[in-house]
Amino acid sequence: MAVAPTDVAVPGALEAVTGPSVGPRGRWRSRLGLWIPAGLVALIFFLCFVWPLIGPVGSPTGGNILEANLPIGSPGHVLGTDAVGNDEWARLLYGGRASLEIALAVNALGIVVGGLLGAVAAYLGGWRDATIMRFLDVFIAFPALVLALAIAEGLGPSEVHVIWALAFFSVPAFARLARAETLRIRELNFITAAGLSGTGHLRTLLRHVMPNIVAPLMTFALLGMGIIIVLEGALSFLGLGIPPPAPSWGNMISSGESTLSVTPRYVFIPSIALFITVVSFNLLGDALRSRWSQR
Amino acid sequence: MSSTSAPLSTPLAARAGRLSRLAGSPMLRFVVRRLLAAIPVLFGVTLLTFVVMNSLPGDAAQELLGAQATPAEIHELSIKLGLDKPFLTRYGEWLHGLVTGHLGHSLSSGQSVTSILGSDLPITFELILFAFVLSLLIAVPSAILSARRPGGIFDRFSMVFSMGGLSIAPYVLALLLVWVFAVKLGILPAIGWVPPDQGLGQNIRCLILPAVSIALPLMCFYARLLRADLLEQLQGQDYVVTARAKGAGPWAVLMRHTLRNSAFGLITVIALNLGTLLGVTVIVEDIFGLPGIGHELLSAISNRDTPVVEGAVLVFALVVVLANLLADLLYSALDPRVRYGGSPN
Repeated sequence: MAVAPTDVAVPGALEAVTGPSVGPRGRWRSRLGLWIPAGLVALIFFLCFVWPLIGPVGSPTGGNILEANLPIGSPGHVLGTDAVGNDEWARLLYGGRASLEIALAVNALGIVVGGLLGAVAAYLGGWRDATIMRFLDVFIAFPALVLALAIAEGLGPSEVHVIWALAFFSVPAFARLARAETLRIRELNFITAAGLSGTGHLRTLLRHVMPNIVAPLMTFALLGMGIIIVLEGALSFLGLGIPPPAPSWGNMISSGESTLSVTPRYVFIPSIALFITVVSFNLLGDALRSRWSQR
Repeated sequence: MSSTSAPLSTPLAARAGRLSRLAGSPMLRFVVRRLLAAIPVLFGVTLLTFVVMNSLPGDAAQELLGAQATPAEIHELSIKLGLDKPFLTRYGEWLHGLVTGHLGHSLSSGQSVTSILGSDLPITFELILFAFVLSLLIAVPSAILSARRPGGIFDRFSMVFSMGGLSIAPYVLALLLVWVFAVKLGILPAIGWVPPDQGLGQNIRCLILPAVSIALPLMCFYARLLRADLLEQLQGQDYVVTARAKGAGPWAVLMRHTLRNSAFGLITVIALNLGTLLGVTVIVEDIFGLPGIGHELLSAISNRDTPVVEGAVLVFALVVVLANLLADLLYSALDPRVRYGGSPN
């Protein structure tokens, strides 16, 4: 089939980005390479989800205008306050929470819906495969950000709408990966055995195919976390994501843009948080994938 | 497809023979089949755009007249713009126009969509081309250097650097660049656009920051991809062993044998990337105030200017489809073993 090279190259390309962990003290390094980003991700989740509940974190909104523009390190405001007097540290944590919630939901939708679509397409093969994949091709050929923009604009900015909008981005990607992985295992003995022993299609899919393709999907989801966090930021940056005054890293960066030359910290504080989070997810995804592919 | 028969005059017969050979050539059949297969996809894209634009609250008449307009005024304008017709009629009319080569007129400015695209597309394409050239110019040599000594100083540095580059959001990078080069150093413009005919130097200066914002993540991605592919080829392939056994030096093996094989993966990814890249340009053009297609698209979406959105999305989708086709054609140029649409075995 002529389309084959492009189809196969998607997961291959993603794997290739990691680079094998060759090196002398490989084992130690690969262990550290796994646990450091894992620890960072855990810390970020803790700070965004748990710390605001138990720690001395102020409110991210409704700040006092008299306390506006306090510099970093002011008493009571570790990272200072923004232009309307909200505590930056609190906004950072609550904004991160929104980003992480969205990224988790979008990736979960991608794994479940995209994973099932791709697995079903590859498992059934033939015209049904072609139909499902061409249908998804429409979304791939469609500039994802445009669709996300239109949906966010149409439904109005809100967290749930951002999730729907970005799911259009994740579902086809997961479906392509799931399809490639299912094609790989479809002809293996245990699938044939399941068919011969009279196992129904649905059961074969859920009990035999899905467990075997879920590991690459999960690893891809870690890279997907980074991508979705960046995309969510992009939507919020364009004013179509989380509606202010509720914080998100994207709308914090966006509102800081106008005063970039005077108070660059309003742009750089959320930017750094965004960067550290995305790096952690990418490193973790990389480490898990190289560990997984060694087996 | 049998060739035409004898009673034609010789040159004409020869031409007909050549034509039918061309028509029967696997390459042309492959191209035609792929283009035909793209039609339903493009059809789906335009239909989806229409559905999405139609389901947005408000319409162009309302957006044009603003909040103070009376319902009667809005009604009058929407009849004038043809917005009162049923959804499928409007889509049908648009499709009919498309087939006859008319993309319609902008609902807000009345300009023809073709002329809007004609003035905006070159800017976006120049930006993307600039970014591609920049990223490949750095990515390819750095991947080769890394693959020459994996685990060496350069390799480690470039792996760390590229992980950072991959993880930085384009809009963050753009603002960082603006802060450093426009605010602090003041050597490059933060915003604005000078067309090439008003001075190529100024034109390039406007494009440097936006192009770097797009190019850096791309560059890191390509460098990692190519390095991994080169290493894989070097480690496991028979032709590498053969080349080494013949006495080819490490550089010769890399440059003459491995690089050619590794170019495959890179080409595929570049083609697949193009779609995402067009999305990125929307934000970058917005930040740097470039009057490209992304900028146009943003305002067209908020003006509910369906014909302009349709035109822009169609161009985007067409570029993605053609890029994928071109990637497949390049495979065969690089590797004669690749056949067009032969049997899977």
